[in-house]
Formats: sequence, structure tokens, C-alpha cells
Amino acid sequence: MSIEHAVEMRGISKRFGNVQALNGVDLELRRGELLGLVGDNAAGKSTLMKTLFGSVIPDAGEIFVEGQKAGLRNPRDAQALGLAMIYQDLAVFNNLDVAANVFTGREYTRRVLGITFLDKKRMYDESHALLERLRINISSPKLLVERMSGGQRQMVAVARAIGFDARILIMDEPTAALGVKETNTLLDLMAELRDQGISIILITHRITDVLSIGDRVMVLKGGERQGVLDVEDSTLEDVENLIVRGRPEGGG
Amino acid sequence: MTAAQTPTVRRQTARERVRELMAHRESGVFLALVIFFVVMYTVSPIFRSPFNLTTILRQISITSIVAMGQTLVIVSGSFDLSQGSIAGLAAMVTAKLWKNFGLAPPIAIMGGLGVGVLCGFLNGVLAARFRLHPIVMTLATGAVFLGVNFYITRGESIIGLPDGLTWLGKGRIGQVPVLIILMFIVAFLMHILLTRTLFGLRVRMIGGNLKASQDVGMNVERIRIGIFTLSGFLAALGGIVLLGRVGNALPQIGQGLLFPVVTAAIVGGTLLTGGVGSMAGTLMGAAIMGIARNALVVLKLDIYLNDVMQGGLVVVALLIDQFRRGELTWRIIFGRDR
Repeated sequence: MSIEHAVEMRGISKRFGNVQALNGVDLELRRGELLGLVGDNAAGKSTLMKTLFGSVIPDAGEIFVEGQKAGLRNPRDAQALGLAMIYQDLAVFNNLDVAANVFTGREYTRRVLGITFLDKKRMYDESHALLERLRINISSPKLLVERMSGGQRQMVAVARAIGFDARILIMDEPTAALGVKETNTLLDLMAELRDQGISIILITHRITDVLSIGDRVMVLKGGERQGVLDVEDSTLEDVENLIVRGRPEGGG
Repeated sequence: MTAAQTPTVRRQTARERVRELMAHRESGVFLALVIFFVVMYTVSPIFRSPFNLTTILRQISITSIVAMGQTLVIVSGSFDLSQGSIAGLAAMVTAKLWKNFGLAPPIAIMGGLGVGVLCGFLNGVLAARFRLHPIVMTLATGAVFLGVNFYITRGESIIGLPDGLTWLGKGRIGQVPVLIILMFIVAFLMHILLTRTLFGLRVRMIGGNLKASQDVGMNVERIRIGIFTLSGFLAALGGIVLLGRVGNALPQIGQGLLFPVVTAAIVGGTLLTGGVGSMAGTLMGAAIMGIARNALVVLKLDIYLNDVMQGGLVVVALLIDQFRRGELTWRIIFGRDR
């Protein structure tokens, strides 16, 4: 399996009762690329990504991460391989500050007299540095997440994923609930991450988002791969045609 | 390639800082406490006498000690309605251990605290392992603890307690009553626990987003058991201090404790839905309630109005909370929405 691919999925199929959600789908995510995954509702986008993240076990097919065959049984397996998934309904703690969210589950601690104290300074410093590195516009890691906008919360979730050393990000409709300005800021962040070498799969309804920052677009329809387009020589119309009409000769 | 200019300049303006400060729920409570205190201090010479101020502190100390445990429980998204009964049972067991088993007061007190830990642990197991609803469950275990109390004491009081048992409630270190010192020690330790330790962070996580906490893979069950155990311990401590303050061991001891305890936490800004609350807030909540009660006395108003006022203050605190969270607006109240 090719080493230039961060992720390679081969012949993924999944059936839910009478519905063939995925039918022999292939996907290649190149290293350091931003791949858009588009298609109508029920095209199988989310299901495909859930198989990659281990929260859905496919009936057939193989998954390779960084060239290694991955037997993903649950999300923790996926995380161990450097994958992170960011959902629309975020698993952030609104009642905590940014640093606590970034370090959720792997807090820095110090044991004094048998009591585990939080090393707050280190967490503040490191999350500040992380925000800086990702060029995320959040003024302080001490800010409470509940005081933040939807876009900033997404960025906290991204920072958390990157803080966990994720090298492959799956983002499921991250901009669906955001305004124009916030969407742009988040897209900038994704482009920035991609430039820093993170490989990203972006599920979205907004094709223009992918065309503005993405490298390639993959189109799903009825659980089958319709084709993959290079963003540079594709128009909005090309992508829309593929979504609506499909293309028999296009892969999968 | 990029869709918009990446904003990289980062600054926190003075306005942001003020807003951040006001966002802290304790700010409002602190403001209310200061205003209340200053008004009373100005209008009433009796109020500002050192003796009266010490009395207020003594009166709120037991409530505060127990309320610290309740705050921890509420922040985790639960309730412990058995605290009053635990306090009573622990106090009576302490007195019994001294009277009937001839144990030295410090050992008897440890026994009483042990009973509180046991009761709290039981609550924790029922809430965490057996997933019982905490409100009804602790109401039920509270009835059980009270029943056990009456069963072992046959409803009889134990009078003439030795100094060793009443020291926590009556004693002084220098000029300062022991129970006031105890209140501040408990408040300090609980504040550290909630804000500085991994356990405290886990408590806030469970209360703030239970599902995400489980996804992270933390041991929610163990943390819950720890929370209820600590709540039971502090209830027992409060009961034993109360024993000293009353001077005799009456089986119904602790029965009036629950309402002021929950009140202190709520007035202090603890969010009933979990995730948010602080020991400083609860301490201030208890102080507000204490000053309000004292005001009835020193202004020669009717002390029998105390319950009316306490209940009223809780309703006001709940209303303020709803407004702050945006759950309630004037439009909703006056029927222009929905």
C-alpha cells in the first residue's frame, strides 16, 4: 500500500437492514492534503467516515492508515493511530476553560502528599503555545468555552485533536451552524493545518468551501463513489453534476 | 487559497477583562453580600457589634460546612438530600459511642465521622453503580438513616455531653470559636479540591457534560462514589459540630439542616444543572442567608418570618439564574413569546 497515502480505504461496504449504506467504496487521502467529501443526504459520507474512525464496523473492505493495515474496533483504536474526528455536535465542556478542554483526558498533574494536583500553569502555557502555533484567534486559554461563539468552540475542538498528536483530521460538517465570517476563519484554520502537514477529510454540504481551500473532492451518491476531482481544474458545476447525476465510469 | 485574512493579532481589552470578571458567577453574589452588609452595618448599631458579627459567623458555620459537600454534589449534577439525616445519625452514634461504649471523645467522633463516610459511600454506590436517580434515592436513604437513628436511640436524648464532644461546637482557640475556624479550613480545603485537583476537574466535567466525560474514558462511577462519600463525611462533621453547639444529643438533630444547606449553595450561584459552582460562592451564599436572618432579629422584625424570607430568597436566586442563562426573559414573563 502506498506510503504517500495517509489513509487508504478499499472496497468498504456496510448494510443497515435493507439499506446498502456503502457499496465497495474506495478512498485515498494523500499526506497533507485537504480532501472534500461531498454528496447528497444519505449518500454515505458520515457512515464512511465512521468506519474510518472505528465507530462503525464495515461488513467488507480494508482500511490502511499510514500504509499499515488497521483493524479498527472502536474510536480509541483510531485515536491511537493518529486519527481525530470532530463532529458538529461537539464534545466540548462549556463550563470549563479552553486549557481544560484542550487537555481533556491527558491533564498534566503533580502528586503532592498522595493528592493529584493539576499543573495548571503548564497546561495554560502549552495550550497558549498550541493556539499560537495553529494561529487560532482565542485571546486566552483561560477563557470559558461557554462564552465563545460556535466557530471558536470548533477551534477548541480542533486544538484538542491536534494536541493529542492527531495527524489525520476528520471534520463532519464543521461549518454547518456557523456564520460567514466564522466559517471563513475556520476554513483558514483548516488550510493552515494542512500546510503544517495534517491530512484532513472535510465532509460538507458547502461545495464552495471545498473549492476555496481543498485539494481534491470526492463525491458519493447512494453509497457509491462517483469520482474524485482535482479542485484546481473543477468548477462548482462539475461537482454538482457529479452529485446529482453521478458518473458510472468514475471509480467505486 | 485562503478564504479570508487570518486574524493573528491577539489582545484582551479592558472591556473584555471586565466582562470576563462579571461572567464569574461569584461576582454577583459578592456584590449582593457587600451591599447587604454595608446597608446593615450603616443602619444598625447592634448589627455592627463584634459580638453580633461573631454570632452570625457561628450561625452559618455548620450550614457552610455541610453546604460545601452539597456544592460538590450539585456541581457534579446530582443532589444529596440525605445530608440532614446523615448529620443526625453521625451525631447520635458519636454520643452513643461515648455514653454506652465508654469510648474517649476523639475516638467517638471518629466513629461518628466513619458512619457519615459509610452512609455517603452507600449513596454513591446506589447512584453510580445502580444508576438510581439521586434526588429520590437520597430522599429514601435519608429516611433510612433517620430511621436507623431513631431505632438505635429509641428516640431518647443523651444529655450531659463531656467537653471533649462539645469542643468542636462550643470551644474557642484564643478568642475565636473553633467552629468558625473549622468552617474556613473546610472551605479552603474544598476550594482547593474543586479548583486545583484532578478529582475536582473530573467533578466539573461530569456535571458539565456527562456524555463527553464518558467518551474521554474517565471512571465516572468511582468519581461519583467519591463525591457522595465526601458529602456524607462533611454532613457527619456538621452533625458532630452541631452536637457541641446544642450541648445535648437529641435524635432529631440535623433535621432542619438540609434546607439552609441547599439554599446556601443555590444563593451562592451553584448551577442546579451541574458543572458550575464554587466554595467561595457557597460561603457567600450562607453569609447572605445568615445576615438576612440576623437582620430580622436586630431590626426587631418578626423572626417567625425567617422561613418566608429564606424561601423567598431562594426563589429570587433561581429567577436571577434563569435570567443569566437566558432561559427567562421579560418577554416570556409577559406572554409576548410563546
